Amino acid sequence: MSAGGKKQLSQTQAAWLLLTPFLLTYALFLVYPFLRGFWISLHDWNLLAVAFNPDAKEYVGLRNYERVMWGRNIAWGLFAAPLWQGTGLVGLVLSVALVLAGRLSRFNAIALGVISALLVLLPGFHPGEEGRWYDRRFWPTVGNTLVFVGLAVPGVTLSALVLAAAMNRETRAMGILRTLFFLSQVLSVTVVTLIWQIMFSPRQGLIANITETFGGTPINWLTDEQFAMAAIVIATIWWSLGIAMILFLAGLQDISKDIYEAAALDNAKGVKAFWYVTLPNLQRTITLVVVLQIILHFQVFGQSHLMTQGGPNDTTQVLVRYIYQTGFRDSELGRASAMAVFLFLIMGCFSIIQFIVGREK
Amino acid sequence: MKHVLLIAAAAATFTTGALAQEVTLGRFFGACEDAGTDTTTSTGEACIIQSIINAADAELDGIDIKTLPTDWGNYYDQIKAAYAGGTPPDVHVMHRHRVPEFAGLGALAEISGDLESVGIDPGDWSPAALDAVSFNGGVYGVPMDFHANLWHINMDIMDEAGLVEDGKPVLPSSPEELLAQAQQVKDATGKDYLAADFAQFPIGVRLVLALMWQQNGNIFTEDGTATIDTEAGRNAVTAITQLFDAGLANPQLNYADSQQAFLNGEAAILVNGTWVVDFYTAEAAKEEVALDTYYVADFPTLFDTGATWADSHIWAIPSTLEGETKMAALKVLAFINDHNIDWARTGHMAVRTSVVESDAYKSLPHRDEYTGTAAIAKDTPPSERYGAIQDVLNRELQAIWLTDKPVEDALSDAELEVQDLLDR
Repeated sequence: MSAGGKKQLSQTQAAWLLLTPFLLTYALFLVYPFLRGFWISLHDWNLLAVAFNPDAKEYVGLRNYERVMWGRNIAWGLFAAPLWQGTGLVGLVLSVALVLAGRLSRFNAIALGVISALLVLLPGFHPGEEGRWYDRRFWPTVGNTLVFVGLAVPGVTLSALVLAAAMNRETRAMGILRTLFFLSQVLSVTVVTLIWQIMFSPRQGLIANITETFGGTPINWLTDEQFAMAAIVIATIWWSLGIAMILFLAGLQDISKDIYEAAALDNAKGVKAFWYVTLPNLQRTITLVVVLQIILHFQVFGQSHLMTQGGPNDTTQVLVRYIYQTGFRDSELGRASAMAVFLFLIMGCFSIIQFIVGREK
Repeated sequence: MKHVLLIAAAAATFTTGALAQEVTLGRFFGACEDAGTDTTTSTGEACIIQSIINAADAELDGIDIKTLPTDWGNYYDQIKAAYAGGTPPDVHVMHRHRVPEFAGLGALAEISGDLESVGIDPGDWSPAALDAVSFNGGVYGVPMDFHANLWHINMDIMDEAGLVEDGKPVLPSSPEELLAQAQQVKDATGKDYLAADFAQFPIGVRLVLALMWQQNGNIFTEDGTATIDTEAGRNAVTAITQLFDAGLANPQLNYADSQQAFLNGEAAILVNGTWVVDFYTAEAAKEEVALDTYYVADFPTLFDTGATWADSHIWAIPSTLEGETKMAALKVLAFINDHNIDWARTGHMAVRTSVVESDAYKSLPHRDEYTGTAAIAKDTPPSERYGAIQDVLNRELQAIWLTDKPVEDALSDAELEVQDLLDR
């Protein structure tokens, strides 16, 4: 009965065998849909029409990408967007200068250089005479998404860091507070946006009531161009604080008490200790949190869709919402997929950055 | 004994399982818990339609109706995704303006041959109602109503401002009069003249559309040329923005807030649809609601010809439905058609001639105050891109009143974008 059962798997074979379930699931639910999405982006593909007649699609090559990202008579100039391009130039000069002065590691110098070069290059494109973008909403939407990420990521990181530092104590009250602060994270986006829509309401909201108590006129948060983006950022920070805070707490508890004791002997306590001991030791956690948040917040959808419907005047229109509208409201699946591939590339870049940073040291 | 019971139970499950035909139903109008099965006493769109559905579920033998959870904001996206995934609801509500898109792609069943078999008499539908469900010579649904923009009026405020004559509100007949009367209300009462959702759903768009139609203009022509950046467009927009500029209306209220402002007695007029007439009637009767004397008026004519935005709710079934399920779905359509009078209680206009001519219909609250609406009902030319076009207009118009974008820029941007959509 047991004859022939002696043969053992080599380590590699065993590894493959154990990896198979994961690889299959990964291929089926991530790799295949992604490749198919890319394939759809090369077609003129109407969601409903193709559902009823599979032949209703047409191969158009990269035309969807052109229609989304390019325009007629697009020109490039160094002074098309002086502010951004100026910042980029300063960044370029700075990165070269800092490398020459030996003040910047090679990796950081390359990162700063690449970002600065992109800042000089990308905003320089603009429609020339008689020219126009084919899709006039795409780049502004990308810009809005960047603004959202640019506000939400530092917002979440800083507030989570401060909260974690304040609650890094072994008392019962702190345990309860930690749970409370984490609680918002478990809510779904619909509940979060509902809560904040009521909070922001100029007629019945808590914020309006407080402003009125102090004699101010309530702000129309969600319909005012100045405040709409701020409103969805605030709701997002409140919502996604929890995970970042837990990561920071874990990082904080990894820092040895001995270091603090040694620092205290050197008269570094409180804020000083936080600055000279806590922060440097938390660097890797901070990088992890920042990159995770960047990838997460590029995919913002619910807050914008449910709280402001992308308005007013498109100021809170974000990329995923535009993809959703193009795919489902307008039925243009090919075009929507092209935008989705673009979003994938952006997030892919940040994943690579995380990978490189994670391997350093 | 135990065996006998088990077999009996199994048999019972089997037979009821075989008899009860499940019909899934998709609708918007909002949620109503505990709607009951009494179709004659419920109030508001959500509860009236749900009571009709509950009654159909209870009264139709062997049909079990399951109402799917759907939300108005994403309704068409959900329905489309369901069609694309091959699992559309067996029966669903939709608007007349979506028929070209859905029927054009073969999603909807053509049911002209099936109507009589379940007792629906299309001859009883008014010609406009038949038109609402017709596409390329076929019938693609059962009409349920005509709905349109109305002026909902707080008569106490109008009275205080001296704008009531013979028990009727005095309404403007030109943009200049609109401004003068609005100022009159402000001076006499300190309150806003007009409120509407200018910040969320496209109610403001429908207002501007009506004012363009009143000048015999439109946002695009039948042959697909966008005509928004025009004299008519500018006149229509400035007729409204003059109120904002003079501080006689607040553009920053969304749907719920503008409605609340009207019910709180903070504005003399609310521009909203037929769907809230019974709800406001009920609210006005309440002691704690500031609105007391409620009146409904046809959308006034500020330019040459009368016009107000209008649409129809219709019920359709997917083209893929067959056999028993299709029969059951058709019976549900017939049941809804039979309860046209109950649905009209919302404030919507009925589609069946026999209902429109009935005393029960004529004696509905406020019904006699907006009899002119049916004649001035209008909508944009049919387009497969209706939803996207509405969104462009809503965005650009909101940019005018919420972010002070110059009217010329907004209208020319809107025209370019709508032209892009029409050309795609």
